Amino acid sequence: MPSLLRKPARPPDADAPVISMVDVGVTYPNGKVALSDVNVALAAGDFAFLVGPSGAGKSTFIRLLIREQRATAGTVTVAGRDLGRMRRGAVPGLRRRIGTVFQDFRLLPAKTVAENVAFALEVTGAPRATIRERVPRLLSLVGLDRHSGHLPSQLSGGEQQRTAIARALVHDPAILIADEPTGNLDPVTSWEIIQLLIGINDLGTTVLMATHNQEIVNAMRRRVLALEGGRLVRDEDAAAYEREY
Amino acid sequence: MGFLRFAGFSVVRAWQGFWRNAMMSLAATATVVLMLSLLAALFIIISGLNSGLEFIESKVGVTVRLADDLPEIGRELIIRDAEALPGVATVTYVSPEEALERLREAYRAAGQELDTGGANIKLYSSLEITLTDASAGSSVAAALAEHDGVERILTKQDEYDALLGIINVIRTAGIVVVGLVGITVLFMIINTIRIAVFSRAPEIEIMRLVGASDSFIRWPFILEGVLCGLIGSLVTIVAVAAIWGPIQPIMVSVFQMPIAVSSQFLATLSLVLLATGLGLGALGSWISVRSYLAATT
Ligand SMILES: Nc1ncnc2c1ncn2[C@@H]1O[C@H](COP(=O)(O)OP(=O)(O)OP(=O)(O)O)[C@@H](O)[C@H]1O
Ligand SMILES: [Mg+2]
Repeated sequence: MPSLLRKPARPPDADAPVISMVDVGVTYPNGKVALSDVNVALAAGDFAFLVGPSGAGKSTFIRLLIREQRATAGTVTVAGRDLGRMRRGAVPGLRRRIGTVFQDFRLLPAKTVAENVAFALEVTGAPRATIRERVPRLLSLVGLDRHSGHLPSQLSGGEQQRTAIARALVHDPAILIADEPTGNLDPVTSWEIIQLLIGINDLGTTVLMATHNQEIVNAMRRRVLALEGGRLVRDEDAAAYEREY
Repeated sequence: MGFLRFAGFSVVRAWQGFWRNAMMSLAATATVVLMLSLLAALFIIISGLNSGLEFIESKVGVTVRLADDLPEIGRELIIRDAEALPGVATVTYVSPEEALERLREAYRAAGQELDTGGANIKLYSSLEITLTDASAGSSVAAALAEHDGVERILTKQDEYDALLGIINVIRTAGIVVVGLVGITVLFMIINTIRIAVFSRAPEIEIMRLVGASDSFIRWPFILEGVLCGLIGSLVTIVAVAAIWGPIQPIMVSVFQMPIAVSSQFLATLSLVLLATGLGLGALGSWISVRSYLAATT
């Protein structure tokens, strides 16, 4: 059997960063500089917080990664692909490698929890059998088995965010990016969402979470990227971060 | 398999989209019906007039009455000249005896017997000229009029020219009207699909976020426009087929249009209506999708 002779499965570039920015800058058409000289790298399986005051450039940073916008300077690489050179037709493929979650959940109000999750599979041409198998599995992963038939309006904020997280995971993405996922949630629910993201990270997914919540950042003892006025002013592990704040 | 899923997804979403904003969709469909009805009427009238024209064309010829005292040699000269004229197919000499025989035939056909009352009536001798090109009648007549021994020249050229003029006017006016209504239809469809795109904006945003390809985002809207065209043309085809019964005999008798009897004519007309409806629907929604979905990623 030839497979016995092969080395254990291991992608050739396993050590290469899954997200990297080199000298990245973003200047909006109105002249506003939202990011400048940002250099950062995240390896596969990392968990990092992205912090900074309002207007520091966190959302801009995230929009670069999903190629909702392009850097006006420098190079952004995600999952081995240079986003500055990426053709328009390749963007959907990129987006399937990255799950995204937002403060406002972005669920479709007329669809149930299960339908919202299934929608992400339908619109990417997944076979029916895949949808039937994957949706319940994801809902149970995020703890929503009993709510699959409910509409978003019948859910708490935390449950809505869990639905959004389940939807973000439908394509088994390498990266999960969350922009203020706890911004609309009370402290207890926020903690539950953080625990869920940690659990997803433990399964091997790289997680980047932008947040204002100092308490969570301090308690989690994870890597912290701090932006201020568009510059990356700190990139430290949790211990160093705690010593300073 | 992948394509079937894509096609199924697009068709289902187009259908849902059509009924989601039913008022707009039905209004757009109604304008399609209006436009295609005008097109059908134009098509029928022009087809009728064209076959009327063909009928006259087959009858258009030049009849040359010869003088009684024209010697045979003079006649032969005129025949040779006539045969050499452009647009002339055949030249046949009809003697007075033959002319009388034809008159008798005509009476018999009408169920009567020609009664000359014993008199020895003498008819003209003439040349009957058929044409390869119906519009050459006037020039042939003019050329032959110069011969001595030509008494009088008869053609159906004036009737032919008049009908040709009518057809050209109707065709031009019809194309202008149908074209203007067609532009209105296009705007209706563009607007309907634009509203459909806006009403689905949250879904489109999520589709982009989760990595749906452009074709999954666009085709449902294109098909929604095609659906307006499809339903509109089917309604028109059914309506035309329903009123075709009373129209058909008119086409045959008034316009001398034997082709109207065959089911082929209706089939051709239906095909024209269907193609126009689908084409307008696709074009309108394509324009809409291009201008309202293109910029964002
Ligand atoms: N489309 C835009 N055009 C011009 N300026 C913009 C645009 N989007 C963002 N900005 C500016 O860029 C800067 C960074 O914005 P960004 O949304 O990335 O900040 P943020 O860190 O996410 O803030 P918050 O914590 O309030 O969400 C801000 O000063 C903002 O006003
Ligand atoms: Mg933000």
